[in-house]
Amino acid sequence: MSDLFSISTSALQAFETAISVTSNNIANANTPGYAAEAVDLAAGVPQADGSNTVGSGVVVQSVNRAYSQLAENQLNSSQSSLSQLNSLQSYTNQIDNIIGTTAGGIGTALGNYYNAWSTLASDPTSTPARQALLSQAQSLAQSIQTTAGQLQSLNSQINSGITADVAQINSDAQSIASLNQQIAIGSAQGGTQAPNTLLDQRDSLIASLSQLAGVTTTTEPNGEVNVFIGSGQPLVLQGNVTQLTTVANQFNASQLEVSTATNGSNAISSSITSGDLGGLLAARTQAVDPTLNQLGQLAAGLASSANSQQTSGLDANGNLGTALFSVAGPVATASSNNSDATSATVSLNDIGALTSDNYVLSYTNGAYALTNASTGAAVAFTGTGTAANPITAGGLSIVLSGTPASGDEFLIQPTANAAASFSVAISDPSQLAAAGALQTSAAVGNTGSGTIGAATVVTPTNANLLATVNIAFTSPTSYTINGTSYAYTAGAPIDYNGWQVAISGTPAAGDTFTVDAGSSGNNTNALALAAQQSLGVLSGGTTSIEGATNALITSVGSQAQQINTAQTAQTAVNSQAQQNVQSISGVNLDDEAANLLQWQQAYQASAQAFAIGNTTFTTLMDSINGTYS
Amino acid sequence: MRVTQSLEQTQFLTAINNLESALSETQNQVSTGLAFTTPAEDPIAAGNVSNLNEVLAQSQQYTSNANSAQTSLETENTALTQVQTQLQSLYSLALQANAGTVSSENLSAISAQATQIQNTLLGLANTQDGSGQYIFSGYATTTQPFTLNATGVSYAGDQGQAQVQIAAGQKVATGDNGDTVFNAIKTGNGTFTASPATGNTGTGVVGATTVANPADYSGGSYAIDFGANSSYQVEDAGGNVVASGTYASGQTISFAGLQVTLSGQPAAGDSFNVAPSTNQSIFTTVQNLITALNAGTGTAAQQTQLGNSIAAALGNIEQAITQTSTVQAQVGGRLNTVTTALSLATSQQTQLQTSISSLQSLNYASAVTTLDSQNTQLSAAMEAYTQTQGLSLFKYIG
Repeated sequence: MSDLFSISTSALQAFETAISVTSNNIANANTPGYAAEAVDLAAGVPQADGSNTVGSGVVVQSVNRAYSQLAENQLNSSQSSLSQLNSLQSYTNQIDNIIGTTAGGIGTALGNYYNAWSTLASDPTSTPARQALLSQAQSLAQSIQTTAGQLQSLNSQINSGITADVAQINSDAQSIASLNQQIAIGSAQGGTQAPNTLLDQRDSLIASLSQLAGVTTTTEPNGEVNVFIGSGQPLVLQGNVTQLTTVANQFNASQLEVSTATNGSNAISSSITSGDLGGLLAARTQAVDPTLNQLGQLAAGLASSANSQQTSGLDANGNLGTALFSVAGPVATASSNNSDATSATVSLNDIGALTSDNYVLSYTNGAYALTNASTGAAVAFTGTGTAANPITAGGLSIVLSGTPASGDEFLIQPTANAAASFSVAISDPSQLAAAGALQTSAAVGNTGSGTIGAATVVTPTNANLLATVNIAFTSPTSYTINGTSYAYTAGAPIDYNGWQVAISGTPAAGDTFTVDAGSSGNNTNALALAAQQSLGVLSGGTTSIEGATNALITSVGSQAQQINTAQTAQTAVNSQAQQNVQSISGVNLDDEAANLLQWQQAYQASAQAFAIGNTTFTTLMDSINGTYS
Repeated sequence: MRVTQSLEQTQFLTAINNLESALSETQNQVSTGLAFTTPAEDPIAAGNVSNLNEVLAQSQQYTSNANSAQTSLETENTALTQVQTQLQSLYSLALQANAGTVSSENLSAISAQATQIQNTLLGLANTQDGSGQYIFSGYATTTQPFTLNATGVSYAGDQGQAQVQIAAGQKVATGDNGDTVFNAIKTGNGTFTASPATGNTGTGVVGATTVANPADYSGGSYAIDFGANSSYQVEDAGGNVVASGTYASGQTISFAGLQVTLSGQPAAGDSFNVAPSTNQSIFTTVQNLITALNAGTGTAAQQTQLGNSIAAALGNIEQAITQTSTVQAQVGGRLNTVTTALSLATSQQTQLQTSISSLQSLNYASAVTTLDSQNTQLSAAMEAYTQTQGLSLFKYIG
């Protein structure tokens, strides 16, 4: 009889628990990270009743989470990739907008600048044309500088993002460590009964950590998890947390890198390739810095070509032109980890060989090695780093102040600062060198067939460059310049006062040719500057500045497009992983409704069994009362 | 697959967001009329459009350059036409003076007209364009090229010839300098000159001179020396006799591939020098003519001198006319080049605008169709959501 009651009671208790679990599921249907729970019922231990054994009711063995570690891991890993792309995408799209703005963009400004030279060539003495050219040059410089400024401000956004992410990672890691401890205690107390809510919370934290940076986890037998970040740096080991810190880049104090407290200044940034943090680091190394470098390369090319032409012409005052644009040159920075104070200086010697890459020069065991900073590929170079024999590669000359210590490194940035510093170096329109420095003429009275070609400037610094020089022929085979006699060969270049000119044909004795400074209406230099629009300057003289601008637009656009495509694809992958987890762990209200009915009916049935037991017992007692009363 | 309500919500929201973002992009395209607004939407086309825009702007600049070249060349053309008119008048005046029976009053009148022409030519040589630049001073456009002073007319310009770019790889000269147009004019017949030696006492006057056989003329100087009885011999610079004979008035003397016709009667001991042409300014030619006209014709010797001076002037003026015609022909050629470049540029610009438009402009038909279908998709998704949201087992319990 007692069995009957105890069986019913166990069933009533079990079904009440089941109804509670179902209600809890319904209550948490929209709680993020909540895994649906289910009661695990088992038959009670049977009891021997003579020759028979009868069951002893039902017991709730455990309340289980609907959970798959595999699905959860897949979701975390796809979420890490998606967060990385989301964060990278926000930067590539911003760069796309900065570079791609057609109105007021660099391409338009560049076209206007060249056209202004062309206009000046049509009217070289016109002050309004000079003023217009200067304004166009200034707006071009402004446009390049502003673009570089906007790109640089992205780098400070990235720094703030890194700081915030690292703080959030540390706080999540701390919470995971303390949950680990609670779970270990809970598991020990509850035996087989896992503290489901704590597990859910910890899984949520690992999922949110995955959004910040890709992590991997391992589970200890007591239920604690270890969390590793990057290429296996421990972040949480059971109850202990290794805090992440931000440190200044060894070469560039204005760029933050991620490190661990135990690693000191040894940055682990390069191993963090996913999550929001991975996206921020990738945005800097793959999008912002390369774009700044490319922009710098074209700014350096523009300045170099314009300045060399401008300085070989004459301005409106008859003086040799001075540089039109000023631009910061390449820089070499010693690593903060270097063990001695050797410094490196770098200068540009061939604009055509200049690239938009950064390089790392390292010195190990008596030998220099030069590598591409972004790909790590070795770069061929010549020289030994002394002033007499500088290290030469990529259009650069690198000179070391001494012999570095073994293991020292230097970052070489050929164009990183060029765009931001690009400005117009002259302020007076009359300083624009529209005139060729020199012009030549043949005396009208010449009787021979000799003709003189255009004079070219070889040494702009020659003090007598602009002096008027007469080339007087004393016979068809000899001429004198300032009293000195020279032999004449038709077509052979005549070098004098830093210029070069060729006379061809057969001059007669008494014929005179003159080389003198360009007149105010001379427009040959302006023509040459306008013609630079299609002049190959970069990439070994194959790419014009305009060509480089268009290539920049296409490359920035392609990168943004590629990231957009990857992001769309990853969103689909992630949504699939989410569905997978939800289909395993999510709460389906229809399921719960059915369960509710099921447990309710079972409860009612058990209650009925209890009532029947009671009736049976009463019947028995009544019959006994009837016999003895 | 097991679907949960919260997943359904999330998926619906994601889908709605995606649809709305696509719809907004299409809407943006339709309202701007651009197929793409940032390079990421079509990187290749964006690069090409930027490139084509630059080519278009460059072409428009070339058009502006060509228009400016056209103006300069037309100004020069007009000036050259007037220079030629003046030179023709001068030539007629010289012919009038050469008639032999011209009175000294008439010579003075002719001289006065020649002076007038000289001044007009000087004015033309100093022609300025609309912005006050001298068109015949080479690169020295702000310097007045020709100035009349005590020793004649001096040239202060240079030999520069400004060019402008009128098309990719095509430059055109926008003018000619004063040396080319006015100063570098060959004397005589353009190859050689024949002139009487100073101190000739006869009445020999140089007439027509021609190069009969250019191959035989090596550019040397010769002297035609007259001896007794009208005999003459021609010597080269080294004193070698290259021809000799007996002279009759109007006879053509041939030597070394050259022919010189003399008239009148040279006296024994008279000599005529044959020398290669040199360059002489138009102004020197006019000045020499005026000086000769003013020298008087009182004596036979003076008349002979006047005849020789006029003969020299006629040759030089003819050379000047030839020279200015040649320059004018070149100017005409350049004007044609500019006109051709302008019309090519116009069609190139149309072509470029078409290309830019085809890359950049939105295909409205397809965009509106897309917009429509995205709209339908969005409203269908919303409709589906509201319908499935009604489904719950709980509605049927209890």
